[in-house]
Amino acid sequence: MKRFIVISLLTVMSLPLLACAWPGTHNYYLFSPYDSQEFRKRVERISEDNWQAYLGTKEEYFFFDADEVIKVAQQKNDALMVSYVNNLQRYLDCADQKRQEQWDYPTKEQLAQRTATLKAVKAYAQGKLKSRLRSQHALLLMRCNMLLGLHAENVTFWTTTGSLMIESVYRDMMKNIYAGALLKTGSEEAATALFAEQGDWESLMTVYYKRRSYQAIRQEYLRNPNSPVLPFLLKDFVNNAQEAVDGPDVMEGKLFVRKIQRQEAMQMCQLATQVVKEGKTECPTLWQSARAWLEFLFGDRRQAATDILSAAKMEGTDRQKDNTRVLMLYITSAQASPNAAFDSYLADELMWLDAKQKEDGHYHNVMDRLVHQVLADKYAHRPELAVSLLKAANSDEYTTYVDTMEVGRLKQYINYASTSAQNGLDRFLKAHQQVDGDALNDLVGTKYLRLCRWQDALTWLQRVPLKFYNGRGYAVYAANRSYKVEPWLKRQWLKQGLEYSDQKWNLPSNPKMDFAREMLSMEGRLNVLSGQALQQQYYDLAVRYAQAHFTGDCWFLMRDGKSVGDTLRPNETHLGQKACQLLQKASQTADFQLKEKALFALCYGYINPQLWYTEEWNSKKFENDKKPNARSQQYKAWAGLVAFEKQNATRTSRYVSRCDEYRQFLKVYNK
Amino acid sequence: MTRFLTLLLLALLLVACQRHDNTLAEQNAVYYWRTSLRLDSAERAFLAQYHINKVYCRYFDVVMGDDDEPVPNATLTFADTLPQGVELVPTVYITEDCMHQPHPGLAEKLVKRIQQMNETNDIPAVRELQIDCDYTARSRQTYYDFLREVNSHLSALHAHLSTTIRLHQLAMPVPPVDYGVLMLYNTGDPNKFEDRNPVLDLRDVEPYVKHLDGYALPLAAAYPVYQWQRTVYGVHLEHTIAADEILRVKQVVEHARPDLSRTIVTYCLDKENIQRYNPETYEEIYRH
Repeated sequence: MKRFIVISLLTVMSLPLLACAWPGTHNYYLFSPYDSQEFRKRVERISEDNWQAYLGTKEEYFFFDADEVIKVAQQKNDALMVSYVNNLQRYLDCADQKRQEQWDYPTKEQLAQRTATLKAVKAYAQGKLKSRLRSQHALLLMRCNMLLGLHAENVTFWTTTGSLMIESVYRDMMKNIYAGALLKTGSEEAATALFAEQGDWESLMTVYYKRRSYQAIRQEYLRNPNSPVLPFLLKDFVNNAQEAVDGPDVMEGKLFVRKIQRQEAMQMCQLATQVVKEGKTECPTLWQSARAWLEFLFGDRRQAATDILSAAKMEGTDRQKDNTRVLMLYITSAQASPNAAFDSYLADELMWLDAKQKEDGHYHNVMDRLVHQVLADKYAHRPELAVSLLKAANSDEYTTYVDTMEVGRLKQYINYASTSAQNGLDRFLKAHQQVDGDALNDLVGTKYLRLCRWQDALTWLQRVPLKFYNGRGYAVYAANRSYKVEPWLKRQWLKQGLEYSDQKWNLPSNPKMDFAREMLSMEGRLNVLSGQALQQQYYDLAVRYAQAHFTGDCWFLMRDGKSVGDTLRPNETHLGQKACQLLQKASQTADFQLKEKALFALCYGYINPQLWYTEEWNSKKFENDKKPNARSQQYKAWAGLVAFEKQNATRTSRYVSRCDEYRQFLKVYNK
Repeated sequence: MTRFLTLLLLALLLVACQRHDNTLAEQNAVYYWRTSLRLDSAERAFLAQYHINKVYCRYFDVVMGDDDEPVPNATLTFADTLPQGVELVPTVYITEDCMHQPHPGLAEKLVKRIQQMNETNDIPAVRELQIDCDYTARSRQTYYDFLREVNSHLSALHAHLSTTIRLHQLAMPVPPVDYGVLMLYNTGDPNKFEDRNPVLDLRDVEPYVKHLDGYALPLAAAYPVYQWQRTVYGVHLEHTIAADEILRVKQVVEHARPDLSRTIVTYCLDKENIQRYNPETYEEIYRH
């Protein structure tokens, strides 16, 4: 038995598991007045598009390959492109060597060679600054300077040459290198202004890593009320405040942070008020929305609602205005009571958010947080809407939610999803409910199985075609396991390789209906049986309950997947306990063999709520010590079996005497 | 017979007294843990003011690569040289998972890389190498075997080998090196930083003090002067260690093992760390 336990604990089956095993926090940052990844994403996308346009291809995932470009350039008789790409590759090789961490550290000669290559590429690029590909060559020249450490030269080059070139992605990249050169040559203020202008969040974070505070923001504002660094600093500050409020349960230390952040957050609210009042900023909506969100986070929800309304009427960039709209939706939703007017407003805003999700992943995160942290609770009294919202938000928790919700509520949801819309909110939600009817019918039937309501289960399960079960991940188990096998005597491990094979299974019948029918029939006969036959029936029923329990081999009757971390879920009968109750009755028999089997079965760890021991780590022996727990149900079961075997010492069955768990218990028990 | 037993007892006592015969010189040292070797004037002044003649300089880290083989990471670039008379000790931090199984040839590659780094950057011949690894019961044997191999490559160069020793490692057999540097920092559980300062707390040191006297390896002592910084989901957290706490720990460990006052190291050389404590504190830390 011990071996079985060990193997079982080590085995995590790769079946569809419920997302509840790894719950997310949904604490996405809401304050996003600009896209953090804008510069890198934009530059990469445009560069790739340019290469693809030249190559005449359109791949979803494109990787620059110099040989491929040269080949096409040669076909086009484009000698300039051939020479450019050759030299670009030489530069990229140098950059790669410099970046790449390898065991062969370069020798002096190799370093000299690298420097010589970079100088040669630079000289080549210098000679092509008036060519058709002048922007590309100017960028190549600046890149070489960067690796050669010639930052001052890059500052001059940009001022005299690069900045005069036409707008292009190459010019943007040159400007970014120029900003880096400014930083390296001591002009930090100018450098950070350029990073901010370009949306180069990574570079800004490098510079400001240790200078992110209310004081830093205040000083920057006093220096320049429209400093391009301010949106970056403000975003970072507000999101840190949100983090401090969001997650005290996740990281203990956040309590420590929150104490500081609350005070700082209030100072920031005052500063935001001052900034808006002074009227020097070109983006008052940024400051006012920051103030409203901080107020909301730190508990002043009424003031937050007032301030976010005024923020919505203020000026700012399109992104900042969208940001204000997001915060207004969140703050308003958290405050409002569900009624027709709110439903209508919500429908419009959800439709807008849905459209924005296609533009940027941030809005997907907004939807996720809004639904999980505000709307799901708000509509808890209307479960059909709560489930629909989760589905519309593509929530990982939709599956868990429908799996664990009360069966009557699930039926309400099925009805809602299949009827026509009554208002705007319905229209939005119903458009997002592409549900699988077979899956939901199976789920309702399975929920009845979990409640041991066999007849109700059959009503719903009979609507599900057999092909549905043949296509389920657990079909391999359903095809190879039987709920009639006594799990305490034999575990039904699948033959090696079977679980992950591509074999298609053709189940002879719906395994859940077979089980429900058999249980209905067997339980029905309990009233007509008596004596030995009744006790045998109790035992046989116990076998089936133990197998259908989430720890049994036939877990697929009640669940879609299995994990070693499974526990009893809401709206589910503890089938293991039912098995124990039946085994208690069976053990009253006078039949030696049945009694011994029933007593042995009662010791089965997988149907007992607590093991007969607790484990404590012994740091000296580097192993767990087993401490007996005499009050546990399993301990009492083992003690009962030991007493029985003592009375019948000569008749002990081999499955008992050879059980290692039994022998371990004896050792402790007889001490 | 009695005389013989007395002599035997005396001999045993002598052996016992020599079990951690400390051959370390009385000297001051620092760790240098940045990715570019470049000292500013404050750092140079610090080296001179506290008579620091040894700098344990992180050359690179060794981490597990994508193909499950250790690879170098975050290699130091040499933009400067140390002041005259200050010895540079190449130091390599190896993540513990690299020692979960032996990696044949790793020691040789590591020593050769350090040699090449020195040669390329005109660093005088290496006299010592230090390896830093938070080895555990699981990785200890592999790590010690690795150290032996490193030592065999170093012996041809007439160079010494040292390693860092964390407090929990005091309970294990000593590593096959010339000496260890006892790390009196990072003593707390980073996840419980509300209760204790994770950088250093005497309560975290005390349980290990009993191992010090019997630890049969020459030991230097390294004390923290840095600020613990960590970003958790974008939230910036900081911990600074009080000067009194550092000095209390120094007192306790030197009481248990007086030779810990011979070679003293601080972690790490940095302008901000220099400004963090007043000169009196540094003088106390470096008091022999």
